[in-house]
Amino acid sequence: MVTLVQVVVSGLLLGGVYALLAGGLTLIFGVMRVINLAHGEFLMLGAYASFFLFVRLGLNPILSLLLSMPLMFGVGWIAQRLLISRVDRAPLLASLLLTYGVSLALTGGAQATFTNDFRSVPFLSGALNIGELAFSVPRLVACVTALLLTGAAQFFLARTRWGKALRATAQSADVALACGIDIDRARMIAFGIATALAGAAGTLTSFLYTIYPEMGKTFMLKAFAVIVLGGMGSFPGAFLGALALGVIESTASYVTTTQIAEAVIYITLLAMLLLRPQGFFGLKEA
Amino acid sequence: MNDEHLLNCTELHAGYGRVPVLRGVSIVVRPGQFVSLIGPNGAGKSTVLKAITGFARLSSGTVTFNGQAIRGMRADRLVPLGLAYIPQGRIVFGQMSVHDNLEMGAFTVRDESTRAKAFARVYDLFPRLAERRTQLAGTMSGGEQQMVAIARGLMIQPRLMLLDEPSLGLAPRFVQVVFETLAMLKCEGLSMLVVEQNAAQALALADHAYLLELGRNRLEGTGTELLANPDTRRLYLGD
Repeated sequence: MVTLVQVVVSGLLLGGVYALLAGGLTLIFGVMRVINLAHGEFLMLGAYASFFLFVRLGLNPILSLLLSMPLMFGVGWIAQRLLISRVDRAPLLASLLLTYGVSLALTGGAQATFTNDFRSVPFLSGALNIGELAFSVPRLVACVTALLLTGAAQFFLARTRWGKALRATAQSADVALACGIDIDRARMIAFGIATALAGAAGTLTSFLYTIYPEMGKTFMLKAFAVIVLGGMGSFPGAFLGALALGVIESTASYVTTTQIAEAVIYITLLAMLLLRPQGFFGLKEA
Repeated sequence: MNDEHLLNCTELHAGYGRVPVLRGVSIVVRPGQFVSLIGPNGAGKSTVLKAITGFARLSSGTVTFNGQAIRGMRADRLVPLGLAYIPQGRIVFGQMSVHDNLEMGAFTVRDESTRAKAFARVYDLFPRLAERRTQLAGTMSGGEQQMVAIARGLMIQPRLMLLDEPSLGLAPRFVQVVFETLAMLKCEGLSMLVVEQNAAQALALADHAYLLELGRNRLEGTGTELLANPDTRRLYLGD
């Protein structure tokens, strides 16, 4: 029983960070029907940003979010304005190719600039013991931060003027235009927020995992599995999908091995695509 | 352009690809008028509204609204000028509440008290929507969704409202409700340009009406004149 609780809670802790990454991916898909294959690379950039701020300036990674998130928002805004806006009304293949190109360019750029060395941020360690349960402090801090940021993004989408405008644009861009919403601006805000969230996820993973130029790939695949579970385009769906995936991964690695757990994730992804391709809360395609 | 003209469209030409849809349509709406645009399928009625609101590209022609040239302007820039457009198919934001749908209608209204007044007026006109303000718009009946769409357009307190086939695809009793709503808005003094298949009812309300055929003006006159015209009667009213 204790073990089961331990496994499930570890899974939920893992899921928090996935939610942050997948939330942005699903937001971009919802608002502009673009699958951003460079999303994992924005996570990688966020991780390197935290690494350098920590190593060079000794900045606490959680505090460095105050600096890196606005910066990443700007990166996303500019990416949408200069690149994605050229293809977000074109067939899906165009945006897949473009974002794949951005992904390759960012990975290559990182290899050239930061080298292929593995890096790590020695921030936080140890475990918190509650009764017979033990929780890793870095994971706990990462998960709580991720939940706060996801909650803030959800609040923005559900309650604020521009947040609602983003959802309106996702549901019908033409009617949003007829309401007077500048949908180009809505798209830049959506991409900016998604990129800032991915960067924040990078900061949180920077002190949990190794940092290297190709690290985005694994996370991107997991984020993709999350939004298939939760439903493409649904922000709350991504949140629940992320927690579900965390628990599945954690349980599978406890019962089997870490390598097999990776396979279990993709088997779940395939099963979901076969049985319920719209996910739990997916947008109905118009 | 003439100050008497709230909306003045002259010689509109437009097409999808190489197929011409509008071949010189001219339409005028004067302040306070209810103008109906009728005609058979493929006459270009909906395209006229799309061309005015920037959703369809015009190859030539002029569009002035309230004395300002608006040809080629995108819909979101026309809303602040007081032009409301209710597209065909009672499109609402289905996963948002009725209230949030109306709030999106008032997206460009930044002043809090003007906004509150618009909400009060719209809920006053549509008590049914006031009762259901928290319901998701997508779960409502077709007729109610059309009410939400019209109410959303009213949130900017428009100078002119363009409606594309508001009664299309509705059950007969809801068609009646839609025309009663249009009659009520007309009494309120709202200027409207309405595209309708339901010619008899649209003409009965119209101060002025245009009959389009194959992308051209075919007939125009008061609603009563067009109702009495043998051509209209033969084409639309089954005589």
